[in-house]
Amino acid sequence: MTATSTSGRAVIGTVSAQQALTFRRQRVRLIGVATLIMVTAMAGILGWSSHHTIVRVFDQAVQLQAAAGNPAPANPFLLKPSLSLLSNMVVYIPLIGALIALMVGHLAMAEDQTNGMGRLIFTRPIARTQYALGKILSAVRLLATALAGCWALSLVALLIVNRTLNGPDLARLTGFYALSWAYLVVFALIGMLTALLIRRRSLALLSAIAVWIVVTFVLPQFVSGLRPTQSLNPLSEPAGLSQGFFRITHLAQPISLVEGYKDAASSILRTTPATTAAETALSVLPTLIAAATLALLVLWRIQRHDYSRSASDE
Amino acid sequence: MGLVPTPSIARTHVMNEPAIELRGLQHRYDTDLVLRGVDLRIEHGEVFGFLGHNGAGKTTAMNILTTLITPTAGTAAVCGYDVVTERSEVTRRIGYLPADVRMYGHMSALENLEFLAKLSGLPDARAAAMEALEFLGCADLAKRRVGTFSTGMRQRIGIAQAIVHRPHVLLLDEPTSGLDPMGVRQLRNTITQLNAELGMTVFMNTHLLSEVSKVCTTIGVLNHGELIYNDSIENTTLRFPDESSLEDIYVRVGGPTP
Repeated sequence: MTATSTSGRAVIGTVSAQQALTFRRQRVRLIGVATLIMVTAMAGILGWSSHHTIVRVFDQAVQLQAAAGNPAPANPFLLKPSLSLLSNMVVYIPLIGALIALMVGHLAMAEDQTNGMGRLIFTRPIARTQYALGKILSAVRLLATALAGCWALSLVALLIVNRTLNGPDLARLTGFYALSWAYLVVFALIGMLTALLIRRRSLALLSAIAVWIVVTFVLPQFVSGLRPTQSLNPLSEPAGLSQGFFRITHLAQPISLVEGYKDAASSILRTTPATTAAETALSVLPTLIAAATLALLVLWRIQRHDYSRSASDE
Repeated sequence: MGLVPTPSIARTHVMNEPAIELRGLQHRYDTDLVLRGVDLRIEHGEVFGFLGHNGAGKTTAMNILTTLITPTAGTAAVCGYDVVTERSEVTRRIGYLPADVRMYGHMSALENLEFLAKLSGLPDARAAAMEALEFLGCADLAKRRVGTFSTGMRQRIGIAQAIVHRPHVLLLDEPTSGLDPMGVRQLRNTITQLNAELGMTVFMNTHLLSEVSKVCTTIGVLNHGELIYNDSIENTTLRFPDESSLEDIYVRVGGPTP
């Protein structure tokens, strides 16, 4: 049984399969999938409930008008896009989904440092890039599995509420979850990178959460939050972008990942005024660039990581 | 049992070169020079005991040999392959047991070994893992989760992972740490068996001088990053006939009492 040369793909597959087993045994997969599915169910119920309430209130108003002999317009809320049922998911994914993704990325990369397995792994004939790709693949797959579950549940919810779903809407639903997956991959990679940069596990996780806070809450305050006119009326043109301080905040818009995600997701679900395909693509771009950059950073950092020492888990 | 002697991965090349060769090996952590130009040559089939006080640089030397860190200066080679420029060839030929061996606690011994055997590129990783466990007489641990193991059991599984791919050179870092007297004796027998039956060269960092005298064929003493003594056990006892034990010799050649 002689050791043969291990192909890169085989190593990536082995590392990924091992990590998937770890996720399963440590119930990370169960927690991640269950949480996202519960969130989807909640979004569906809330979407249906608010839509149903509005329609009923309008219908009652129509009945009152009809009783008074007045003509009543057709219910405009029935014209809302069918996917608007899931509009709350645009908020839940950056809030809850991103935190789960951080945890997944952190666990994937930190455990081998803490339990000393990194030392045993890197005394085998494998490249660190292959190892990192295996870890990334396992996290990416886990998030894809969770979002596939959300997609299926959303489909069922839409079919129950709307009775039917046309082809373009199905494509939009799929596009929304594909975008959400890319967004969550960004946070899984942030979890991995902080685990590689900071040796103490608790501090690494805390730093990842700090990044999540900045991306989710701080950056939006620097962008749309600083435009008072737009805050009052989101449909109006942002005022004074070319003046003073707002010129700087305007420059920050492309790096405000969460706003890019929300713009693109709302546009895909058609819950905001119609945007062009180019505008939607432009909103998606920061997420894709961030994912690619972070993946490269993880691959770069792992080459320099000292696996001869175990990380502290205090 | 089915474990066969170390297979021939470019055997001719391997046997023509020393098992381990260090030349002017230096390593620095920030401003602290922990290895100061170590020269050492270990031939195939030897059981080498690397002695030294805490912080002498033994583990750093081992980390360099396992390719986990890169030396600041000098060279280190295993079976003629440079640990920096030919890392892949080196890692095919070494088996490594760290001082505190820990694995995936949620996985069984067999699953852990199979995973590491796959990374070593073994075509039938599961069979190789099972063979290693059987060779060490711990096949009964195969299905048990490593998280439930005692220190002694973990050490045996640690050795199993180190030999699962039949390396030429076995690197053991403080292998007796945390073991009870029975565990130490069992480990000594295992090392002798691996050396005699599978032809593995053993490089062992240790504090236990009593074990060194029973197991090792050659010793080296490292003191503050410098190799101050290197000879066979036979020659050592001849050179220091007045000393009653290896511990006395160790003190005599300059190492502080461990």
